[in-house]
Amino acid sequence: MATKIIWETDMESALKRARAEGKPILLDFYNPN
Amino acid sequence: MDAVTYPDDRVTDFIQNTLIPLRISFNAQPFASQFNLKWTPTLIVLDSLGKEHQRTVGFLPPEELIPSLLLGIAKSHFDQERFNEALSMLEKIISDHPGSGSAPEAIYLRGVCGYKNTHNPKPLKEAFEYLQTHYPSSEWTKRAYPYRLL
Repeated sequence: MATKIIWETDMESALKRARAEGKPILLDFYNPN
Repeated sequence: MDAVTYPDDRVTDFIQNTLIPLRISFNAQPFASQFNLKWTPTLIVLDSLGKEHQRTVGFLPPEELIPSLLLGIAKSHFDQERFNEALSMLEKIISDHPGSGSAPEAIYLRGVCGYKNTHNPKPLKEAFEYLQTHYPSSEWTKRAYPYRLL
């Protein structure tokens, strides 16, 4: 069981992974402050 | 989301196993402009080409986030005319999360997918009847209202 979500922080990396793994992307626009 | 929803084991497992999680600051360009971002949290389901298929704005608790994301994945399949894959996601929402806010829309979309798959209007009428019985006050019941005549 995963203990935390491991977020991508770069769009191109996420798109590359999405194509390779056949998964959609969850894009979370967040406020870091 | 960071305090309540994302630390939930069900949410963590679902996101890690089902999606590519990507986090971008609300003011990071060019993405904030490209996606017309106005408020946080904004959660968007994208396909592998970066095309948007679903957007939610505002906090969602764990019991709402998972069905909401399933619905987003279903819409991604639907928009790409992969109706059987969409139906698989929609059935999960309807069977596993019937009390969620996403369930009525899932039932509506299940009817549409059934129609798209067969060109038989029966699934649309069944969607209205199911919504009328189980979710009589839902906006999706109103949207399906014309299908009672099919």
